[in-house]
Amino acid sequence: MKIRIDKPACVGNARCAAVSAELFPLDDDGYIAVSEIAVPPGMEQLARRGARACPERIIVIEEDVAKS
Amino acid sequence: MTATLSPAVARPAHVPEAAVYDFDMFADPAYVADPHARVLDLLGKAPGVFWTPRNGGHWMLLSHEAIFNAARDVETFSSELMPLDKVEQMQKMMPRHVPLPLPICVDPPAHMKYRGPLNRVFGPKAINDLKDSIRTLAGELVDAIRPQGACDFMSAVAEPLPVQVFLKMLGLPVARMDDYRALVRAHLSDPTPNPMDSVKKLWRIVDTIKDVLEDRRANPQDDIISLLWQLDIDGKPTTMDDMENYCVVLFVAGLDTVMNGMGHGIRHLAQHPELQQELRANPALIGDATEELLRRYTFTVPPRIIGKDTVFAGLEMKRGERAMLFLPAADLDPKAFSHAERFDLKRENKTHIAFNAGPHRCLGSHLARVELQIVYEEMLKRLPLFRLDPAHPPSFHCGHVVGVDTLHLLWNP
Ligand code: HEM
Repeated sequence: MKIRIDKPACVGNARCAAVSAELFPLDDDGYIAVSEIAVPPGMEQLARRGARACPERIIVIEEDVAKS
Repeated sequence: MTATLSPAVARPAHVPEAAVYDFDMFADPAYVADPHARVLDLLGKAPGVFWTPRNGGHWMLLSHEAIFNAARDVETFSSELMPLDKVEQMQKMMPRHVPLPLPICVDPPAHMKYRGPLNRVFGPKAINDLKDSIRTLAGELVDAIRPQGACDFMSAVAEPLPVQVFLKMLGLPVARMDDYRALVRAHLSDPTPNPMDSVKKLWRIVDTIKDVLEDRRANPQDDIISLLWQLDIDGKPTTMDDMENYCVVLFVAGLDTVMNGMGHGIRHLAQHPELQQELRANPALIGDATEELLRRYTFTVPPRIIGKDTVFAGLEMKRGERAMLFLPAADLDPKAFSHAERFDLKRENKTHIAFNAGPHRCLGSHLARVELQIVYEEMLKRLPLFRLDPAHPPSFHCGHVVGVDTLHLLWNP
């Protein structure tokens, strides 16, 4: 699973980091520090919740294509 | 507070009759009596975007979708209520610098020049370090009222706490607390029609702070005023005018708001003993409760000016017209939040816009959240079940900040 963030559109609500500071790193100003995050196994649920917490709706989750 | 309705002005020709709804955002009697009950009522009756003939005639944006879009379209919905060249002309006619509420009153891209330097100072990391001292202050205030069995929460806790936090952060002498509380009260007092009176209020704020500003310029300490002196603003070292601007905006935006947020939240808790019980039993839920109270009782109404002729939500809007982002309605909009009128600790969608959306998103949101949560925690920890005093029902005022004037509580000491 991947997280993609429209970084220039971040206005620093920091709600994603309130869900998981580990998954969503902020810069010193409190804005998102990265635009792409590879989600470690086991953290998928936190990733989804963090994305849903964004008031600017700029975080999208890319689910892995199911392996057959 | 009693308020009189402003006269209704004539509808401009480009505003269709169906888009008109008569609502006075300062004086509507039902709104002033119980603000959020009236907001819910409005959502059922008024269009999601309407024009009201009150207060000179202006647009009102109610729906979450409309406000979300408008807050991010800064060319159409401009924050430069007075164009910057006019501001400069006005400054030249004044005997001294008139403090400007930067960055609130400028649009991007210039906006970031003034906001950027403040972001780190008010970022989540910096604010986290203040938690312990805020908790100590809050605990002292609540302990002081506990033996009384009754209080006006607004004057006993909600007003002094943010003022004390502000003084500590800026490095202002706490011994002068009473002067600053008097300034807050003067600032909140009824506006007069004379704009010079508002300017004089700003000068009074500056006069009270000026000696400390001068001192920290020469003798930096571990406080925000000293930090601000060391910044680069638009590539230039901070000037005394910059410092006056920043101190005034922090004063105006940081005190009046937090205290009213606390008022709305504590009123809800006082009305809901079962919620107090749940949170006392499980204090870990108070963070979620703080967020849901912010949503349920969103209380600021940022103004905008239409920057260019446009068609928005199917309506023709003309350059120079005013529009209000009616955030209290956005966060109670049933299209955005299911059972929006319900206080729901387990609500799935927590993306309220009590701090607005877009580039002007509240700079102080991290501080405000910490102050609110700590007040709820300390009130619940240090007081037994508290309730509203039936002999003195709460009173409110409405406008750009929908605030609580008095909130009388009772408990068994
Ligand atoms: C619960 C408390 C608070 C609420 C509900 C609140 C709400 C808001 C809102 C809605 C805006 C956007 C205004 C606009 O779009 O025109 C804003 C901006 C701002 N707030 Fe707050 N605020 C609160 C507390 C604070 C505190 C404690 C501070 C002090 C640090 C603060 C400082 C500011 C500043 C400087 C801006 C301007 C930001 C900009 O224009 O970029 N606020 N606030």
